Amino acid sequence: MPLWFEMLVLMLLTYAAGLGIGWAIFTRGV
Amino acid sequence: MNPYRLALALGGAAATAAIAFGAVFANGSNLVAETERRAQAARDMAGGEGVELSFTTRQGWLTRHPTLSGGAGLDDKTRARVAQAIADTPGVGGVTWQARGIRSRAFTARDDRPDATHCQSDVEAILRTRSIRFARSSAAIDPASLALLDEVVAALKPCVGSIIAVTGHTNKSGVEAANIILSRARADAVRRALISRGIPAEGLRTAGLGSAKPVEGLDPEDPANRRIDFSVIEKVRLIPTPIDTPGSG
Repeated sequence: MPLWFEMLVLMLLTYAAGLGIGWAIFTRGV
Repeated sequence: MNPYRLALALGGAAATAAIAFGAVFANGSNLVAETERRAQAARDMAGGEGVELSFTTRQGWLTRHPTLSGGAGLDDKTRARVAQAIADTPGVGGVTWQARGIRSRAFTARDDRPDATHCQSDVEAILRTRSIRFARSSAAIDPASLALLDEVVAALKPCVGSIIAVTGHTNKSGVEAANIILSRARADAVRRALISRGIPAEGLRTAGLGSAKPVEGLDPEDPANRRIDFSVIEKVRLIPTPIDTPGSG
């Protein structure tokens, strides 16, 4: 598996998780 | 979903991807080199003599998942121990042994290709201080230059199979059309001399540029611009496809 692919997947997952948490906080006030 | 927010989220994803690529581009080779050094140390500790580590994928990308090859003299137990030691190295993602067959063939095909630039630099080194001389306004090679041609042929021999371009140049004097014809004729004369010394004709290309490309830093009128340049162009190996291969059907 190329290094750039691992990095891309890892960072996009982190970004998506951050986006999800942020969305939850701002819409529902967790 | 609000299209503005969607665009914002996608823009963020694109920026994240750009950062990921940037990070790999900026520091990936260092990271892999460091990992490779540690993995080699682990291999040596485990007694994996002759085992080669390749930290590139088949497509040539850097990776944390090395491919192991070689070490044919080792027994299965040692091979397993070496692979385990390498896999346990911090930073290494996992190891695979290189399969025999198509993949190893791809490696040898790359390795036995002649190094075209090497031949060219050899020829350039020979011609740096001496040059192939011709009789005045003629394409006849000066007999004094024949020994030099032998040296050039010896330097080009390892690159037989590559395309070798022979380019004639003149200085800027007289009619340009005549210069072009003369430089072409001189390049052809060199080509014939190379063929007579055993370089296959099908790899040789000639061109005459007249005075269009003087030596860098020289006055175009300078007689030192009269020269023959050799460039070795690497030939792309033809791998026969099923259509090219004479088949049963």
